[in-house]
Amino acid sequence: MKKETLAEVLRDIAAKRSVVLSTDLRTGEGRVVHPFEDPPGAEPALAALAREAASRDASGVVETPAGKVFLRVFNPPVRVIVVGAVHIAQSFAPMVRQAGYDVLVVDPRRSFASPERFDGIPLVSEWPDEALARAGLDRRTAVVTMTHDPKIDDPALAAALRSDAFYVGALGSKKTQAARRERLRAMGFTDADVARVHGPVGLPINAATPGEIAVSILSELVGALRGAATPARTAA
Amino acid sequence: MTGDALYHDALLRLARAARGAGRLEAPDGSATRDNPLCGDRVSVEVRLRDGRVAALAHRVRGCVLCEASASLLGEAAPGRTGADLSAARDRLAAMLRNGAPPPDGDWSGLSVFTPVRAVPSRHDCVLMPFDALVDALGRARG
Repeated sequence: MKKETLAEVLRDIAAKRSVVLSTDLRTGEGRVVHPFEDPPGAEPALAALAREAASRDASGVVETPAGKVFLRVFNPPVRVIVVGAVHIAQSFAPMVRQAGYDVLVVDPRRSFASPERFDGIPLVSEWPDEALARAGLDRRTAVVTMTHDPKIDDPALAAALRSDAFYVGALGSKKTQAARRERLRAMGFTDADVARVHGPVGLPINAATPGEIAVSILSELVGALRGAATPARTAA
Repeated sequence: MTGDALYHDALLRLARAARGAGRLEAPDGSATRDNPLCGDRVSVEVRLRDGRVAALAHRVRGCVLCEASASLLGEAAPGRTGADLSAARDRLAAMLRNGAPPPDGDWSGLSVFTPVRAVPSRHDCVLMPFDALVDALGRARG
């Protein structure tokens, strides 16, 4: 691999861009592919394979029309932004970390977003639209709202729906969700946008305690990240 | 007390007018206050000339009560001294908390908040812009 190729990959990693290094197994020649940014260009097959590998976050050997290549995927870290420093967030945020993801808890209410309640978890006491704009939402980001207060949850959901976030979830009952969908439509979001919001949030495992609800949300989030066919909640 | 009476028309008009909303270039003093329970926050910037408020700007992330109170300040604060404003803040607090009559004269506009008396949990929503202004003035002098 050429030095310039390595430097380019390192720059992209530092800039939190998804990047795939394609190495020709016959010649050893390295090529840098930005799977979500580059136009298909001269090698649409390679571009499609790189995109697929990056989406699955899985490196490996693939067959291209030009021969076998090894695709090494470098994705930015997965980040989970939790809006609402509430009881369930106290269980959820440490679990997110245990799963190997970055976590950030956002709540403008200082009495909730206190370090005593979230030992060692990154916290910001700001309004979600400001905090999320600063965080920069991308396709490796998940946003989960937990406050039940539209004044705080809705701006976060709006920011998430305007981004490529891979998972958007909102805690709340079916009745709350119906009212929320109406508000999002009134803000100009389409039915397809609104359908991106997982709500009621989490896999249907009859979770009852904060810890169980956190497991249910995290499971659904992992399923979304890895493209699993997770059971949809029925409108029972 | 019903919600309708709390958010009466004059109060809603005042909030919508948002007088003084924005920022100042090169303020002499600025301060932010927030309510740790609901997350509402207000930032106030002031510029002084000869001991009086020459310009005031505020940014509110909060409820209608807080917006209306900031808007009232945007209208009433320019031209006044720190002592005037501090006294106005105390009269507003006395009106809300102790049932004192609304001030007459320059600050008679504060009567728009008399329905809030009955809802103690919302007193701070009205007082927050005044408290932030008093803080900002303290910093401008200091």
